Amino acid sequence: MLLRTEKQVDDFAVDDTGLGQSVSVIPCSSRSKMPKATIVVPAFCVESTLAETLEALLAQTFTDFEIVIVDDGSRDRTVEIARSFCSDPRIRLVSQPNRGLAGARNTGIAVAQGEYIGFCDADDIWEAGKLAAHVAHLDQNPFVGLSFSGSALIDDAGNMTGQAQRPRLRNIKASHIFKRNPVGNGSAAVMRREALNSIGYRRASEINRTWYFDETFRQSEDIECWLRLALTTDWEIEGVSGLLTRYRINSGGLSAGTDRQLAAWERMVEKLTPLEPAFFAKLTPLARAYQLRYLGRRAISEFEADRAVDLVRRSIASSARPFLEEPVKSTTTLAAAYVLALFGGRVLRVARFAVSRSAEKFRKI
Amino acid sequence: MNRPHIVHLIDDVTAGGVMRVLQHLTSSPELARTARHSVRQVKKGALSLGRVDADIIVSHLSISWRSLPGLIGLRAMHPHLSLVHVEHSYTQAFSSLNVKNKTRFYTLLSGAYALFDRVVAVSHTQGRWLKDRNLVDEFAVRVIPSSVDLSAFLALPPASGRVRVLGAIGRLDHQKGFDTLIKAFVTCGGTDLRLKIFGDGPERDNLRAMAAGDTRIQFMGYSMDPVAAMASVDAIVMPSRWEAYGLVALEARAAGRPVLVANVDGLNDHIANGAIGVNGESVTLWARAIAALTGGQGRRQIAQPAQDCRENSFHDAWAELISELQVPLAKAS
Repeated sequence: MLLRTEKQVDDFAVDDTGLGQSVSVIPCSSRSKMPKATIVVPAFCVESTLAETLEALLAQTFTDFEIVIVDDGSRDRTVEIARSFCSDPRIRLVSQPNRGLAGARNTGIAVAQGEYIGFCDADDIWEAGKLAAHVAHLDQNPFVGLSFSGSALIDDAGNMTGQAQRPRLRNIKASHIFKRNPVGNGSAAVMRREALNSIGYRRASEINRTWYFDETFRQSEDIECWLRLALTTDWEIEGVSGLLTRYRINSGGLSAGTDRQLAAWERMVEKLTPLEPAFFAKLTPLARAYQLRYLGRRAISEFEADRAVDLVRRSIASSARPFLEEPVKSTTTLAAAYVLALFGGRVLRVARFAVSRSAEKFRKI
Repeated sequence: MNRPHIVHLIDDVTAGGVMRVLQHLTSSPELARTARHSVRQVKKGALSLGRVDADIIVSHLSISWRSLPGLIGLRAMHPHLSLVHVEHSYTQAFSSLNVKNKTRFYTLLSGAYALFDRVVAVSHTQGRWLKDRNLVDEFAVRVIPSSVDLSAFLALPPASGRVRVLGAIGRLDHQKGFDTLIKAFVTCGGTDLRLKIFGDGPERDNLRAMAAGDTRIQFMGYSMDPVAAMASVDAIVMPSRWEAYGLVALEARAAGRPVLVANVDGLNDHIANGAIGVNGESVTLWARAIAALTGGQGRRQIAQPAQDCRENSFHDAWAELISELQVPLAKAS
């Protein structure tokens, strides 16, 4: 196995990956063996959450890993906090001018030394057994290129909201990724390096830097990457059971974000359509309906009545098929949007409380 | 020692790359020195391929569940002969886009390949995929990039001056991605640019409809003379969705024409030898690549006709494979 000293790591970062002079890699202390896994933590102005994220990563039960923190041009205390963790030999810090989430992940992949590469955004939390589960999964399934898990949702304060992403885990085809994105969020996946290599590409404008995530996207960069993996390679995408990520839903700012999010999603469709026009012609209205329903549910949970009704209506206009494929979720979304619009947030909150209580009772029986 | 007799089996004789490679194999004087090559056509999916009188049988057949019984019969009827399969069709990008149930498909492939003593990949990229996916035992894979007689292409005067006439050569089929090409081309300015599309196939009417209104795009129909087609263009574009090797890229490089290829499958082999890779999925990127090529930047990027166009590596590799398979036979007799 190739051993790389820290000096060589520095050379690697500058020469092979072409990260350029503007990127500084701070090897926090020396380390002689290549780790099995790398966890890439893109960090942009995350002073309030970074420490908690890193502590959760350092507490992983599987210990043969390194953490690459990519400071994406933060202007707050992010770097200072990251440095304070650097006494741990497993942590490295890379700083670069702001490129966005995709660009930070690409830089992290370029300097990663692990055979498996996981991603954890600096405001999300990995459960202690998460890395162990994915390492075992990837070790045992040589054709799985991306291993993911479900996620529990947390609020700004880090409290569980009670909601979760419990996606389909097996027999995942490109159509599933497009419609429901089972990977779910950017802190759920651990990928095999070879799988990343098979989707990496270079652009004429930046010949020395490999893009795995498309840096022209500021949203939908995750699903663009997973869908490209599914459509252009034969690596399998598979999940392990359990809610192994705590995924933070930031409140507020959604209303402005919805349109941009939709626009990014539509651009992703436009970008990938030439790959397989028939696939997109058949599935886009349905996938768009799911996307709109998802945004509608986000609007409902923020009690934005008008926006929720508008999104849910547009979802149905795009395709009513989600009512056939997922009748319960589609119906409750529609109902909740109208309850919110007719009776306001208080009633919806009471209704939701009553439903969850009765569900709890039902579970006890 | 007598020259061994090699029988090549084929089930699809429609004009195309496979037929041309086969033609090259059987008509090359260099190859004839070491072995006698002949071709036998069999019925697609036939339950029995019959007894073949040969020293080595080379299958160029397409593998499917329907053709599997025939292949098993072939092995059973020739237990002592060396059997070789040349994989002209299947690739990573093919299976990514076309195969719904991958486990079942890979079971078929590894089962079928196991019937053969050697499996020939037609590009390095395809060979790596066959090994990485465990579809063929590592020791049984040989990589022999396809080839045809390139002398007429090498003799063409290289295109000079600015790139103005783009050529797309191939079956008008979904696989070739000419839809992406047309969409990209119509967004490119330049009234003196031309796009000549050579070939025919199921997508003809769709493609014509997409190109309607842009008189710079010409449909030339199927060309019997690939050298003349190449001579009439300044550069070649290949936006294929999958491609086991891509002979047209080899011919273009031999003719000193710049080639734009999608970075999929076997086309990656050509990028390593001087073709210009385009990240295959986006109309915008293709438009940009065409603009760069026709804007004059392309001229500087052409490699000399790459070394692999002049070498006899194709012949040498086949001769080596044949002699390697002859050894156990000699011992047995």
